[in-house]
Amino acid sequence: MTADATPPPELDPVIHAQARLRVVAALNTLGDRDEMAFPALKDLLGMTAGNLSVHLTKLEDAGYVRITKTHKGRTPVTYVGLTKRGRLAFDEYTRAIRALLDHAGGSS
Amino acid sequence: MTDDPEAPPTPEETLRLIERQQAATVRQLKGEPLLLYLPWGVAWLIGFGAVFLHFGLDGRGLAPISQMQAVGVLQGAQVLAGAFAGFGIARRSRLVRGDASARGAMTGYSWAAGMALMIVICVRLSVALPEEEAQILWTGASLLVVGLMYMMSSAAWLEWPMFFLGAWTIAVDATGVMLGAGWQALLVAVLVGGGFIAASLWLRRRP
Repeated sequence: MTADATPPPELDPVIHAQARLRVVAALNTLGDRDEMAFPALKDLLGMTAGNLSVHLTKLEDAGYVRITKTHKGRTPVTYVGLTKRGRLAFDEYTRAIRALLDHAGGSS
Repeated sequence: MTDDPEAPPTPEETLRLIERQQAATVRQLKGEPLLLYLPWGVAWLIGFGAVFLHFGLDGRGLAPISQMQAVGVLQGAQVLAGAFAGFGIARRSRLVRGDASARGAMTGYSWAAGMALMIVICVRLSVALPEEEAQILWTGASLLVVGLMYMMSSAAWLEWPMFFLGAWTIAVDATGVMLGAGWQALLVAVLVGGGFIAASLWLRRRP
């Protein structure tokens, strides 16, 4: 099989947006059962709360993140974690990107 | 199809973006080295430096400072370092919840238990010991707890620098105990205190 005959793998459109890719990449560094506080994620990514919320909603709709709203004392806190499905999607995305890279590199 | 105009342009750039983001996240979750390591390094450099000035290397003090004053300087410096580290830990623990918080809590309680037992043992034994031996006991036992806790905590977080800092502390401590109170204080001040300062600066600069 030649490199030309291999079609570039499909990239997950939900993750293939820079902002959401960064969200998923960041959350993927956490343990399976760990969740990051919303303000921490916002600061880490340098996004506005509104912008991050929009992207998180899209990721949640795709089943990639779970968003838990809770209270710490009287203060409401929101935590965000990657679901198993999200982790899998991120793994597949990075695999696809690497395959594209090999493809572009002219592997034969 | 993407509904975001800022889709990453090339696969290389995308991979770099992922790596950069993951490295930044890991760095943030580990906490600020200038709060977690540097204060201890400075406290031990100053505190054990004062203890060294009291004992000197040949049993004659190098400065007119009593053991109580030297230990007072050490304790004060450690309380300040603890406050900085506590602030750093509290700030870090607000970022994530889940297994990471459980690990942090277990590590924290282990520190407290180890230090509490060390103090009980040293208080009980040091009353029966001459000044120099009592100092060797306190320094030796406290650094045993510190070194072991760093090594064990490194296992929980898979942090090699933390592991080597712990091992280094134990090696310096063992050498100091064998050489006597003056040497012990000097080695701990320079090698452990200096080691923590160097480690904090290196960890800060690490990409």
